[in-house]
Amino acid sequence: MKKLILAAVVVIGGGVQSVAALAHHGWAWTTGKNIELSGVIKQVKLGNPHGVLKLDVAGGTWTVEVGQPWRNKRAGLKDGDFAEGVQIRVIGEPSANASEKRLKVERLFIGNREYVLYPDRS
Amino acid sequence: METFLADLKATPLAQYLRTSRWGYAAVSAAHILGIALLVGAVLPLNLRLLGAWRIVPQSDLVRVLVPAAVAGLAIAAIAGAMLFSVRAQEYATIGFFQAKLVLITLGVVSALALHRGYGFLLEGASRARLAGHALVSIACWVGALVCGRLIAFVD
Repeated sequence: MKKLILAAVVVIGGGVQSVAALAHHGWAWTTGKNIELSGVIKQVKLGNPHGVLKLDVAGGTWTVEVGQPWRNKRAGLKDGDFAEGVQIRVIGEPSANASEKRLKVERLFIGNREYVLYPDRS
Repeated sequence: METFLADLKATPLAQYLRTSRWGYAAVSAAHILGIALLVGAVLPLNLRLLGAWRIVPQSDLVRVLVPAAVAGLAIAAIAGAMLFSVRAQEYATIGFFQAKLVLITLGVVSALALHRGYGFLLEGASRARLAGHALVSIACWVGALVCGRLIAFVD
């Protein structure tokens, strides 16, 4: 029994140590002010629960959160619009943690076409 | 293991859930329902084993809350496996996810050991034995819930 308790404590401690970054849900973790980034997509992970791109921007690589499938589709985006090598301009809120290059997108441009993920926020 | 995770992610169900709006939401809700039922049953039962509500016969509570907890665990595990399949390889590497699986295993093993020793109704177990199990059980299930929630807050 004591071993079980000890094991549980060790496991919970181990989990806590692996904390890496802030939330994806909602906007509580962002600065509250939009910025703009332009860059080339170098990695794409779409689908539930979150769509995430890695964007090569002057000055480094940003992790850019786009919508879930339904949100991207509603904005007019098709499968394949987010592809590696595509030049993209995104407008959204960066993480309030300045050491973290992470941004949640409100709207974006591919070429001259605008796609609005969060119409109520723009 | 890698092959298994890749195969899991390639199943038609996983592919459907990865792109579906309401399907994913429904499975997510089912997962929460299972957790609510499980923890909602386990906590009061363990508090009784620790000495709360002595006026209520322990066996009466066991008859209701143990099956409720088992049902909750089954629902949460099935829905959880479906959510896991959507991004199997990524979730498998997250520390909180691994910790959660260990805690669930410990919680189940602790409960099985107790029932194996004292039967379904836990008759004849000493107060110390019941209290020891209750503390482990609370730590495991609350710990598993917290670790599970934190999966959404890390990369």
